[in-house]
Amino acid sequence: MRRRTLLLPVLIPPILMLAACTGGDDGGADDPGLPDDDLVEDIDAGPADDDENATDETPTDGTLAQVRSRGVLNCGINGQVPGFGFVTPEGTYEGFDVEFCQVVAAAVLGDADAVEYIELTAEARLTALQAREIDVLIRNTTWTALRDGAENVSFATTTFYDGQGMMVRTDDGFSSIADMQDTVVCTLSGTTTELNLESAFSAHGVDYEPLTFEDNDTLREAFLTDRCDGWTSDKSQLAAFKAEWPTDEGGPDALVVLDETMSKEPLSPATLDGDVEWFDTVNWAVIATIQAWEFGIDSTNVDEFLAVDPEENPDVARFLGIDDFNPGLGLDADFAVDILQQVGNYQEIYERTVGPDTALGLEPELNNLWTEGGLLYAPPYR
Amino acid sequence: MNTGQRTNGTDTRPPPWRDVRVLRITVQVAFLAGVAALLWLLANNLVQNMQAQGMRTDFGFLGQAAGFPLAGADFSSRDSIWAALVVGLRNTLVVSAWGIVLATVLGVFVGIARLSSNWLVRKCAAAYVEALRNIPLIVFLLFLYLAILQQLPRINDAIDGGGFVFSNRGLYAPWFDVDDDSGLFLGFCAVAIVLSIVVVRWRTRRFNATGQPHHRIVWGAVTFGVVVGVAWLALGQPVSVTLPVLDGRTVSGGYELTVEHGALLLGLVLYMAAFVAEIVRGSILAVPKGQAEAANALGLSGAQRYRHVVLPQALRIAIPPAGNEFINLAKNSALGIAIAFPELLRVTRIAIGQGQPAPQLIGIMMLMYLAISLTLSLIVNVLNRRLGLRGV
Repeated sequence: MRRRTLLLPVLIPPILMLAACTGGDDGGADDPGLPDDDLVEDIDAGPADDDENATDETPTDGTLAQVRSRGVLNCGINGQVPGFGFVTPEGTYEGFDVEFCQVVAAAVLGDADAVEYIELTAEARLTALQAREIDVLIRNTTWTALRDGAENVSFATTTFYDGQGMMVRTDDGFSSIADMQDTVVCTLSGTTTELNLESAFSAHGVDYEPLTFEDNDTLREAFLTDRCDGWTSDKSQLAAFKAEWPTDEGGPDALVVLDETMSKEPLSPATLDGDVEWFDTVNWAVIATIQAWEFGIDSTNVDEFLAVDPEENPDVARFLGIDDFNPGLGLDADFAVDILQQVGNYQEIYERTVGPDTALGLEPELNNLWTEGGLLYAPPYR
Repeated sequence: MNTGQRTNGTDTRPPPWRDVRVLRITVQVAFLAGVAALLWLLANNLVQNMQAQGMRTDFGFLGQAAGFPLAGADFSSRDSIWAALVVGLRNTLVVSAWGIVLATVLGVFVGIARLSSNWLVRKCAAAYVEALRNIPLIVFLLFLYLAILQQLPRINDAIDGGGFVFSNRGLYAPWFDVDDDSGLFLGFCAVAIVLSIVVVRWRTRRFNATGQPHHRIVWGAVTFGVVVGVAWLALGQPVSVTLPVLDGRTVSGGYELTVEHGALLLGLVLYMAAFVAEIVRGSILAVPKGQAEAANALGLSGAQRYRHVVLPQALRIAIPPAGNEFINLAKNSALGIAIAFPELLRVTRIAIGQGQPAPQLIGIMMLMYLAISLTLSLIVNVLNRRLGLRGV
């Protein structure tokens, strides 16, 4: 009897977690402390007849309506990567991904500050989305087929074109992965990097030993003490950690990110499958920042642009909602104005958080307008 | 069935709805049915929701190529997910088995030390036990890994000498290099062990019969050494010793104990030994005082008193609670996830991170941990029955 009672508490949490996954009645995020309520509701709804199930799966109000009625956007971010998503000493969140949370909040709610940031680990991020704990995931997440398919996630327009790189100590003299025979490589668990790492090393026929860590803090400590020869991750993240390397260990110059790019890592905002309206909303909020850059509109001059003559410049007038053009995205006609006034266009966000003048010092390269040799290309707004 | 009397046609047995035996069984059956229905409901809900979300509910993924590497020489990314889980299970079992053995040895010493008549020894042992028992194990593991073992000499300044290489990547020790055709040799080793047991028993019988000194350890060791030595020479030296060689930043040959493995093992041993020590101390105190006094009266020395009188009786008392601690140790090995040791939980999480279905993988992992715990429990129960007092 003792063993049976031992079993129950072990079995119930994962079942409960999954049962809550498709709760779908209130978004689930309002009261994460009360999973029992969700469970009870699900038991009532779950095994009942099919009609009741059908209504359960297609809630009458989608995520967009839920966010509006809640008045706050629940945005899943990374809290550990300088430049992308991190906590400042003042206790506020800052970074590239964080600003895109603000972009979505400005577009949907008209208030860039109406965001509840939820820090997530690499492993928990998609589960959190599936469990509707967050409305949108903007946490340097790579758009892959498996996540798009089996994991039931929809990826919006890519916000950052990244690639996996390898960081080594300058003193060790590695100039490419081919040099790294019999080395130890540190990586973070639950990411696509492990698979790319394996492909890259086996392509060169180079043996290595992987060391997989649960969080970046422990990994950083291990790399600091020379436990591993290489640290592999997205190049943007490596640049972030390189920029903050302690000076008594030689500062940023003690490290070098190898030129090789092991993979394509298009980092994109993600929403849950099955809510097309919400997906469109997020997607066009991101696109608007790129479109604004293309038009040359930013936070400093948006008010001047609001005075343009719709006859002379119909594209800009449509984009800023001056002539009340509404493409039916579920957003207000002037949503782009809210984004630009409160946050800014893509270029401003990039240069504020990760650009060449920041500690990370990342050149735009692929993250530039298509007219400038980059990959940022906004579909026409008409 | 009913042995009650029948008088004047009236049945002394109450009707079923008031019969306490019927009621008891009915209530238990109803309770069981309720629990089963609840579990079925939950499982059904889980499967339905997973299917509604398009998540796979089968176990076919276990045969797919893992795609991710694991530290450890005999696993490649082309092996299956199942093979990866087995590697994780093996690592968990290895660290748990060594942990149990070493924690027991250390725990017995500390437990006895806590009862020492020497003030310093007694207080040191007490300080050890109180310090270790009262910090969370994960804190202790991170402390060991980050603050102690990571601060050992780096690989460029590794300590290399006497056949050992020592750095903050791991400890490398001399080890056996086994040829392919060494199966026969291992067979001879087994024979040698059996033979030496026979010899030891013969010496013991002879000692019991004649009172001559038995020297059974020496006899057994010599028997084992002679048989193994002759076999080794006769078979053309199938097993040799390799020394670890430090070449630049890599070490080849010898036995490798990675710093993660070492930190987890050391942490588990030091931590669980504190609990074992308390059990040992309590068990020794639970042996009636008269036993020790009787041993004294017979003129046994302090060591003999412990060895022949007190410890055997204390062991009997200690086994059930110590068994619980062994199970705890095996379960606590999952904390290796925090320090990058590829044990079962780590491997499962890696697989989930690569997009494999979480419910199935976590279910398999739970069953594996359950199997480990129940097996340990079974072993302890058998030991307890074998060593327990008969007819009490």
